[in-house]
Amino acid sequence: MSGPLIFVWVAVIVLAYFVWKREGTPGLKAGGQSALGIAKTLSLRLPLALLTASFLIHLIPVEAMTRLIGPASGLVGIVAASVLGGLLPGGPMTSFPIAIVFLQAGAGVPQMVALVAGWSVFALHRLLAYEAPIMGWKFIALRLGSSLVLPVLAGLFAEVLVGLVPGLAAPF
Amino acid sequence: MTGKHGSVMKIAKTDIVFASLAVGTGALTYARLGGDVVLESVENAAFLFLQILPQLAGGLLIGGLVTRLVSREKVARWLGGSSGMTGLFLASLAGLLTPGGPFTSFPMVYALWIAGADAGALIAFISAWSLLGFNRLIVWELPLLGVEFTVVRYLVCLPLPILAGLIARWLGRWPAFQLDDPKEPDA
Repeated sequence: MSGPLIFVWVAVIVLAYFVWKREGTPGLKAGGQSALGIAKTLSLRLPLALLTASFLIHLIPVEAMTRLIGPASGLVGIVAASVLGGLLPGGPMTSFPIAIVFLQAGAGVPQMVALVAGWSVFALHRLLAYEAPIMGWKFIALRLGSSLVLPVLAGLFAEVLVGLVPGLAAPF
Repeated sequence: MTGKHGSVMKIAKTDIVFASLAVGTGALTYARLGGDVVLESVENAAFLFLQILPQLAGGLLIGGLVTRLVSREKVARWLGGSSGMTGLFLASLAGLLTPGGPFTSFPMVYALWIAGADAGALIAFISAWSLLGFNRLIVWELPLLGVEFTVVRYLVCLPLPILAGLIARWLGRWPAFQLDDPKEPDA
């Protein structure tokens, strides 16, 4: 049992207790059904996405890209990683497995922070599939305009933080 | 846990997209690198799937339970109207606490928009959801990228949603970035 796993299931138990206190068993049932609904949606998509990611790992030039975003790449690497993060395909189920390959291949921590932040903020797939139909293009323009600098800032802050606490520089 | 498969599963368009992606990349891998690499990739994917399954199940349950505790209407009430810095803080906090994927968060942003939340609050909300949301953190980032990395990533992203909200308000001076009034649903 890993730490995060214990944390997740403790959270499940605590939340279940609060729901049960407020709404009794029907509340728990409704919560479980809502979870089951999403699980059903994911049941086909997730294995396929993981499969795609593990193929992509062999197809994209990870080594060349990792050199571009290595620990010594500084601001240029951070900007490149932000863009790269925005281009990672799909939801968390495809992009995180790809991100782990970059990290293991030797990308710098600040650059990886920029990459994950860039993916979080720009996520092309999410933008096309959900944001455009629900919120419209003007909202997207405003949101992209407002968040353009965020991944780069995240990378720069991380560089400062890693400088202050050198133990964090090599997470693997 | 026992799963009940009562009805035949509906195959959505998205699933077809994912299936084509898997087949396409698989074919390309086979053509370029041969069958051994394809087999190895399938093995890796299966292993990863088993690895994340217990946390994914927990994450989905957390999402389902939180929807029982925090209602859409409540969030809209906290942020209605133009709300200053407090609104940006509250919006960021609400976004951070919003569980689930884009299928939960964007409908919520839309509800906030109709309820009269300003552009800054909307942007802060969605930025906090995407950068600081617990669901993704617990289900994906912690297990795959490790505790140390996740802590660094999370700490440096903490102030960003409020910053994005401030930038959005500042950008709102130009007509290109001004939001129109939201369409009322089914009006």
